[in-house]
Amino acid sequence: MDKNFKETSRSGGIIWLFQRVSAVILFVLLMAHYVTYHFIGHGIVKYVDVIEKMKAPWFNLVQFLFLFTALYHGINGIWMVAEDYMKKKGTRIFVFSILVMLGAILMFVGMLTIFKAGAKL
Amino acid sequence: MSKEKRIIKILRYDPANDKKPHWVDYTGEFDSDSTILDVLNDIHWKTDGSLAYRRSCRSGICGSCAMKVNGQNILACETPIHKFKGKIKIEPLPGFAIIKDLVVDMDLFFEKLKKVKPYLVVDKPLPDKEFTQSPEEFEYIRESVTCILCGACTSSCPSLWGNEDYLGPAALLKAYRFIFDTRDDGANERMDIVNDKNGIWRCHTIFNCMEACPKDIKITEYLSRLKVKIVENSI
Repeated sequence: MDKNFKETSRSGGIIWLFQRVSAVILFVLLMAHYVTYHFIGHGIVKYVDVIEKMKAPWFNLVQFLFLFTALYHGINGIWMVAEDYMKKKGTRIFVFSILVMLGAILMFVGMLTIFKAGAKL
Repeated sequence: MSKEKRIIKILRYDPANDKKPHWVDYTGEFDSDSTILDVLNDIHWKTDGSLAYRRSCRSGICGSCAMKVNGQNILACETPIHKFKGKIKIEPLPGFAIIKDLVVDMDLFFEKLKKVKPYLVVDKPLPDKEFTQSPEEFEYIRESVTCILCGACTSSCPSLWGNEDYLGPAALLKAYRFIFDTRDDGANERMDIVNDKNGIWRCHTIFNCMEACPKDIKITEYLSRLKVKIVENSI
């Protein structure tokens, strides 16, 4: 079929696709998390086990991916639903800015936990 | 057939006399197999002739008598009263402006339907006889062609309640019905129309439309297929 209709980037098609892709990534990471923590090795997860894991760079990389995907998926989801109820451009910009800032703050706090706190302890 | 006494609550609204809709109670004895439409007819013919509601075929075909009963969007003509326990609360379809009592303004609904070009668009030379289609090809649209345009799905959609510019499930299902019809040549044009902020992307797969559809059409599933097709064609 021809591709002669307008692109989906501004219509909502691309964020819909990314929402689905991030959901699949989240599902895989969540399953990996459960298997790594609860089904392999120690049984009951202790604080020291987590700290030990956090010393490995590959583990932190996975945690970072988890954090980024979860935040993207959550904030994009709120935005997609919030868009239903906002028509004024000013309101949309305001809510979008709040969500982006919220995402940035949570990302910063999460990265501190993953990279800094884990390395010190 | 046993008769039973039922209390019927109807949300009445006459714009000439009422400031806002209000509930009116009616009591009567009805056969347990009576439909909601039978009950409304009984009230209209014997008790209160001023009650306004739409009806036509009384066979679940015309889609005129969609309304909300005990919280569900149903067709009055094919829903028996024994499906509901206790009081029966009858309201007009939500999400549409009320004209009078149970009659709602469907103009916007049909305007949106027209936007997606709800007819066969043919660019290729016409065949000598009819257009042919294999059973497999027809299977894609078999269920969607049974839509009777009653508006029960569109009226049940929370995305529409929040944004009246949203095309809504009925119009989008009609777009699906023609986009996936192998005889049609207007798919790109229709996809261009529904691929919009107020088009298919306002559907958040809430599934209310599927629950409300009196013809049991898997609307949400078909709209999801349509989303995939649009994204596939734009990548």
